[in-house]
Amino acid sequence: MAAECGKATRRRRGRWAVLLTVLTAAAVTAAGCGTDSNGSSSANGGSATIQIWEGYTQAEATAFAHLVSEYEAQHPGQKVSPLFVNNDDTLQKVLTAVRGGSPPDIAYLYGSWAPNVAQIPQVVNLTQVVKRPGVNWNDFWTGERAVATVNGKVIGIPAVVDNLAVVYNKTLFAKAGLVPPGPGWTWQQFQADAQKLTDPAIKQYGTAYVTPGSEDTVWHWEALLWEAGGQLLTADNSKAAFDSAAGLTSLNTLRTMAVTDKSMYLDPSDSAYSNLFNSGKIGMLVTGPWDLSAFPNVHYGVQVMPSYPGTSGGHQTISGPDNWVIFNNSPARVAAAEKFLLWLTAPAQDKYFSVQTGNLPTRQSVGDAASVVQQMNAALPGVGAFISNLSNVKQARPQIPQYPKISQVLGTMIVSVLLGKSQPQAALTAAAQQVNQILAAG
Amino acid sequence: MTATSAPARDGVRSDGRGVLPARRRRRLPFSPWHLVLLPATLVLLFPFAWLVITSLETPAEALHFPPVLTPHVLRFANYPDALASAPFGHFFLNSAIVAVATVLSNLVLCSLAGYAFARFRFLGRTALFAVIMATLMVPFQVTMIPQFIITKWLGVHVLAAVGINHLGALILPNAATAFGIFFLRQFFRTLPLEYEESARVDGASRLTVLIRIVLPLATPALATLAALTFLDSWNNFLWPLIAITSTNQMTLPLGLATFQGAHQTEWTLLMAANVMSLVPMLAIFFGAQRYFIRSVAATGLAGT
Amino acid sequence: MIGSEHLAGWAFVTPGVAIIALFGMAPIIWSALMSFQRNNLLSPSTPFTGLANYRQMVHDPIVAQAIQHTLIYTALFVPGTMALGLFLAVAMNRKIRFIAFYRTAAYATMAISTISEAIVFIWLFDPSYGVVNYFFSWIGVPPQQFLNSPSQALYVIVLMTIWGWTGFAVVIYLAALQGIPQPLLEAAAIDGAGPWRTFRRITLPLLSPASLFLAVWLTINAMQLFDEVYLSTQGGPLNATTVLVYYLYNQAFQDFNFGYASAIAYFLFLVIIVVTVIQFRVGRRYTYYRS
Repeated sequence: MAAECGKATRRRRGRWAVLLTVLTAAAVTAAGCGTDSNGSSSANGGSATIQIWEGYTQAEATAFAHLVSEYEAQHPGQKVSPLFVNNDDTLQKVLTAVRGGSPPDIAYLYGSWAPNVAQIPQVVNLTQVVKRPGVNWNDFWTGERAVATVNGKVIGIPAVVDNLAVVYNKTLFAKAGLVPPGPGWTWQQFQADAQKLTDPAIKQYGTAYVTPGSEDTVWHWEALLWEAGGQLLTADNSKAAFDSAAGLTSLNTLRTMAVTDKSMYLDPSDSAYSNLFNSGKIGMLVTGPWDLSAFPNVHYGVQVMPSYPGTSGGHQTISGPDNWVIFNNSPARVAAAEKFLLWLTAPAQDKYFSVQTGNLPTRQSVGDAASVVQQMNAALPGVGAFISNLSNVKQARPQIPQYPKISQVLGTMIVSVLLGKSQPQAALTAAAQQVNQILAAG
Repeated sequence: MTATSAPARDGVRSDGRGVLPARRRRRLPFSPWHLVLLPATLVLLFPFAWLVITSLETPAEALHFPPVLTPHVLRFANYPDALASAPFGHFFLNSAIVAVATVLSNLVLCSLAGYAFARFRFLGRTALFAVIMATLMVPFQVTMIPQFIITKWLGVHVLAAVGINHLGALILPNAATAFGIFFLRQFFRTLPLEYEESARVDGASRLTVLIRIVLPLATPALATLAALTFLDSWNNFLWPLIAITSTNQMTLPLGLATFQGAHQTEWTLLMAANVMSLVPMLAIFFGAQRYFIRSVAATGLAGT
Repeated sequence: MIGSEHLAGWAFVTPGVAIIALFGMAPIIWSALMSFQRNNLLSPSTPFTGLANYRQMVHDPIVAQAIQHTLIYTALFVPGTMALGLFLAVAMNRKIRFIAFYRTAAYATMAISTISEAIVFIWLFDPSYGVVNYFFSWIGVPPQQFLNSPSQALYVIVLMTIWGWTGFAVVIYLAALQGIPQPLLEAAAIDGAGPWRTFRRITLPLLSPASLFLAVWLTINAMQLFDEVYLSTQGGPLNATTVLVYYLYNQAFQDFNFGYASAIAYFLFLVIIVVTVIQFRVGRRYTYYRS
């Protein structure tokens, strides 16, 4: 019986072996069909393919694809090859590629990475490029230019700009009999409104705050710090300056709502808050224009952030621009990349992209055009308020390589105050000490 | 004395091996184990249920918290919409090629190595096994940059098909895994030595013993290894993210990522695509159940 | 004859080991070198700094916390998953209706992407809107803060990952249960042994190789926990769920301290080696191989 089994197995095995070989051969052949489209350029530099890594989805992806084909049609011989990479993952991929000697030609990189990315030798210095006639560098908003420049060197061209304002639920305000926020409103009014909008019985909150302890936690607070007239660091970026009256005021505002009034929903996942607002469970959010399309079920309004009366901060807000960064693979490809980027960020294309996607215009000339604002407001109500709020962006976060470490210290400080684990003054002092240590270490 | 041919019908408890003498009268029309398994399975499958429900919702309804579990409208159009939004046919094919090749090569290479580690005494065996296990103990975030550089070098100097931006680069680093070797080593060691020894005495080569005697006995383990390796390869995200630089070489997980923007995620389309990526795998697994059960012929060889 | 066994041994292992050595060992050695440098992955200058990174680790309070969290997590996750997996596998290993469905369900839980599980868990454990607090309100337990609470968050992650990995343990144990010969169990039944005694005296020892495999494999994975933390709590609140791999990822790709991250990875590597060796030693005494 064993012998018979053996014969049968041998025949079966023979067939398996053949199948195995065929499949492996097919796999290797198919694998070999992959093209290395890491970009190429012919010797005479006339035609070039550049590779661009971006994280556009939905309307942005469609609009970008349209722009790419328009560019290729208008510039025969120039080819642009986009690759989708989630924005959060781009840094890992870029750093690995750079180390491996094959960076992309253009990559979309968060502005918060700019001071560190500037240290990569392959990053192209665009200072002279943006001075070329027709580029109009000053047409970009102040906040954008600040984030694209590191130590006087321009390392990127602005890809996106945004800012923080208050989005509020008109229905909930009406139900509570509250006057909707006006352009001159104060943080005291915000606090009072939040309290009135909070109803534990129906699990409704006046406002929300994200508490993962990341930069998202920090930058929301930084806007308040600036409005209270405070600064994060001293002018020369050598010491902490947030352990001040303004720091205390801003932290206390958050603390009162989170701990005392319990009118603030704390979201450690950084994603539940927007769905909660869309479900009508939150009265007001401090957030950006990107969230507007996530509120299809709510009748919302947009207003500038409140201010602290008696301080110099006014209704200041904070912006988080991102950059297109060019990497040097070869002179021909750099030239092609610059050509494409300058075309992409020109006013005509900026206008098209903004109208199609609802992203804020990166250029003031586009943002100031009433027809553009009208069109965008019709497609996405409230976005006009964000566009005009761009003029409230007066400064940017410190453009220093240690910023990520400082951000982590501040994130922990804010979360510990919001969770009621520490008192604001003590938390500020402890955090300032840690930040000074980081800055001293250099 | 045991009635091995008694039908294993519900109502008589059996553990799949033979029939135990009936001790108590059954009061339930089904095996009491269902009372444990069904709730446990439903609890375990809850995320899957949420996934399917979300894939059938309208985008507006998906933007609710707490999540809506009983949608007002079922939107089946999410499925064709998801397929249309990116070249998913291509991604599917790429993932399939990589997964199948990885599974086949693992089955072969890990059987060979696992058997050697289980049965042979050779110089450096312990040290080599330790080295293999050690490769499991450093997180990928740290090793991915050197791995990228090595892969790039291989693509340029050895064989283009295994270099950056080729499917071979996704197959080769995982063509043999420490997991597979360790798993099969453990399994092979549970098999009684007698069959292998007697076959050796009869003059069979070690390779013949492995292929003719051991592997047929190890079908459940091989099937399990195939299933787990396939799953690992199918869902692998980080290495393909780093190694692939053009859209037509992307695998399914990279394709799924195209639904996740910087601030917004298209949940309904993402979940529809997720379901479409899971269902074939589960269907194959479901259909191949008999490989997970030791064949009667194999147990017949046991004798007693 | 003996020489041929050496030769056969090397012949059999070489193809697999070659691949693992190239793609596994080489990067590990490379990373070891990086742990002795100051390397930020940006500038090409990576000066050799000797043991500076390791010394920094000793004085870093977050590393101490991360070690603690990693160990607590592992100590809860591994036995939990093994016990639950064993229970379900034994329950499934019989000829009852729908057995194929149950097995596929176990496999399916492994197939679901981590992000889907993370989303579901974040919802279930939400302090205000989650289902768990809802059930607690029925039995009079006050609402808990779960992922918002530094003292509870890690345990929620333990539950989330046990949920995600039980299917794996079930699949492994099911395969191993197939290796238990029928005659043994039948003989025990004939001799009058009850199901629990059969389980304890026969099944469990025969499952010990699979148990050792699971213990080692789950431990190695638990000590490198990353995805669930990244997708749910991001190490918070207040570093309560910061485990070693999450911390080193932060150091590498947020703070650009790649040399330091490599040093932490090495330290973790040594810890895992020690724990695994202990497991194998203990396993040798309690593992029963039928040969």
